[in-house]
Amino acid sequence: MQPNPSTVTSGAVRRGLQGSGTHWPSVVFQVLLAASLLFTLVALLVLLADVLGRGMPVLSERGIDFLTAPLSSDPAKAGVGQALWGTFVIGVIVVGVAFPLGVATAVYLEEYATGSRLTRLVDVNIRNLAGVPSIVYGLLGLAVFVGLFKWLGLGNGRNVIAGGLTVAVLVLPIVIITAAEAIRAVPISIREAGYGVGASRWQVTAKLVLPAAFPGILTGIVLSLSRALGETAPLILAGAVLGSFSSGNADLLGQLLGPYTALPMVVYRWTTLPQDEFRQLAAAGMVVLLAITFAANGLAIYLRNRYSRVW
Amino acid sequence: MPQTTRRSALGAGSLILVASLATGGAAIAQEPVTAPEPPTGLTGSITISGSSTVQPISTAVQELFNVGSPGVAISVDGPGTGDGFALFCAGETDIADASRAIRPSEAETCAANGVEHVELKVALDGLSVITSANNQDLTCLSFNDLYALVGPESIGFGRWSDAQAIATELGSTTVFPDAALTITGPGEESGTYDFFVEVAIAPIAEARGQEAFTRPDYQASANDLTIVEGVAGTVDAPDTLGWVGFAFVEENLDRIKPLAVDGGAGCIEPTYDVISDGTYPISRPLFIYVNTTKAAEKPELAAFVDYYLAPGVIESVLQTVPYVGLSAEETQVAADAWANR
Repeated sequence: MQPNPSTVTSGAVRRGLQGSGTHWPSVVFQVLLAASLLFTLVALLVLLADVLGRGMPVLSERGIDFLTAPLSSDPAKAGVGQALWGTFVIGVIVVGVAFPLGVATAVYLEEYATGSRLTRLVDVNIRNLAGVPSIVYGLLGLAVFVGLFKWLGLGNGRNVIAGGLTVAVLVLPIVIITAAEAIRAVPISIREAGYGVGASRWQVTAKLVLPAAFPGILTGIVLSLSRALGETAPLILAGAVLGSFSSGNADLLGQLLGPYTALPMVVYRWTTLPQDEFRQLAAAGMVVLLAITFAANGLAIYLRNRYSRVW
Repeated sequence: MPQTTRRSALGAGSLILVASLATGGAAIAQEPVTAPEPPTGLTGSITISGSSTVQPISTAVQELFNVGSPGVAISVDGPGTGDGFALFCAGETDIADASRAIRPSEAETCAANGVEHVELKVALDGLSVITSANNQDLTCLSFNDLYALVGPESIGFGRWSDAQAIATELGSTTVFPDAALTITGPGEESGTYDFFVEVAIAPIAEARGQEAFTRPDYQASANDLTIVEGVAGTVDAPDTLGWVGFAFVEENLDRIKPLAVDGGAGCIEPTYDVISDGTYPISRPLFIYVNTTKAAEKPELAAFVDYYLAPGVIESVLQTVPYVGLSAEETQVAADAWANR
C-alpha cells in the first residue's frame, strides 16, 4: 500500500512542532552534501593556488616577453608566443566551422525533422559522439585532414588548419546538443503565434525561435570553445610540434600551412623536460591557458544574463 | 604549508648543484663558451624530427642558426626516436634526432625509399641508477647486482635481501639491506629502458639462458620526473631503486642519489667527466641522422649541419641543455663522417 502523503507530511510537521529531538538522517545527509561541495572546491582551490604560486613569479618577472617569445631550449628565453598564435588560429577555425555547422544541424533536427525515426537515430548518435574520447578524434584528424592536406601537396599536411578542423569536429556534437536544447526550450506557443499570423517556417525559425534561443546557444558555443582550446590529445596526433620551430620568411598563408603548436601542447612538453625552470614555465603557461578559459566562461555568463528572457 | 617548504628546498638544491657543477664539474662547464657566428643570408626550410631527448639540442642549434639566417624555416619535433626514423626514412624529414643507432629494419626502409644518410654523434647521455637521497645503505651496484634486483629472475622479489642469492651466485660481494625494495623505472616503450636492458641486463641474461627483459613487476612510467618522484620515496622507506637519464639526476639531487655503477672496472659515479670520456659503463650516444641527398640539394641544410658540428656550437648549447659533450676525438670522428658524406 502506498503511504498517504498527507499522513507522511503531518508526521513531519508534528515532529517539527513538538521539537522531539533532531532528525539525524537529515543532518547526516546535509553534512554529506556540504562535504561533497567542499571537496570539489578544495580540489579546485589547491590546483589554482599551486599553479598560481609557481606560475606567477615567471609571469611577473618575464611579463609580456613570456607571452610573445618563441619556444626555446633555454628556459630563460622560452615563451608561449607561437603557442598563443596557434591556439588563436584554432579558436578562429572552431568558431568559423563548428558553430555554423552545429547550429544549422540543431535547427534542422529540432525545427524541420522532428519526430522521425531517422532523427531519433541521428540524435542518439550525436549524444554518443559527444562522449567519444578526444584521442579518437585525433586519429580521425590524422587520417582525414592531415591526409587531405598532404594529398593536396601542401607540405606534410601537419598544419594548424588540420589541427583546428580536428578540434572543430571534436566539439561539434557538444555544440549541436546545447544548441538543440536551447531551441527546444523555446515555448511552442511562440511558434504557434508566428504560424497563427501567417509566417512561414523559415520566418518563424529565423525571426522568432533563433533569437529566443540565442543566449542558450551562445553559452554552449563559448563553453565548447574553451574546451576546444584546452585539448591536447587530438593535436598530438594532428601534428602539433613538440619541440620548436621558426617560420623563416613565410607569409601568413605559409605560416598557416607550416608547423604549429598550441598552449596545452607546450605546457605538456615543458612538464617533461629535465630542468626545473621548465616546470615553472609550464605553470605560467597553465595560468595563461586558465585565464583564456575563464575569460571565455565569463563571457558566456555575461551574454547569457544580458540576453536571457523569462517566458 | 609543507608543499612550499619542499619547493624552496628544491630551489636551494638546484643552486648548490649549479655551484658544484661549476667547481667540480667538467672543464666545459667552467668557462662560458660562446657559439661561433652562424652563416647569414640563407633561405629555405629544414625539417627535424625524432628523439625527445635530442630535441632540446637541435632546438638550441636552430635558435643560434636562425639568429644569422632568420630566412630559414626550421621545425624541430620530438615524438620519439622510432617515429623520427619512420618519417626520416619516408623522406619526409631532413634530419632524424636519435637516442640510439638506426635499427637494421629502419635502415632497410630508408634504403628501399632511396634515403641516403650519414650518422653523426653529437653528445652523450649518461644513464643513472638512482635511489632515494635518504638511502644510507648503498653507494654502488654492479651489473650483477642490477641483474639480481631487476633482471628476469627477480620477479616477485619484494625485499632487497631476496636478490642476495642470485647476486652472490654471480660473484657480487655487495650485501643487500633487509629492506623493502620498490622499483620505479621507464616503461618498455622507452629508449632509456632499451638501453638499460641492452647494457646491464642482456649480457648476464644471455649467459644464464634467460630472455633479456627486466622483471615486469615494477612501477613503470614514461615520464622521467614521475620516476624521480617514485624513487625519492619517503623518509621511512628510503631503499628505493630506479634508473633515469643523467640530466634528470642533476636537477633533483635533493631528492635522489645516483649510485656508482660497476660494469666490471670498479665502482664509477656518474659525473660529467666520466660520461664524456666513456669510462662510465652506461652512457649512451645521441645522434643526428642527415639525409645526404637532400643536403646536396639544399644549401641551407648543408649549412645547418656544418654549423651544428662547428667547433664551439654544441659546447655552448650544452651549457643550458643538460647533456654531456663528446671527447675531442669523437667530435673529430663526427666532423670527418660529415665531411666524407
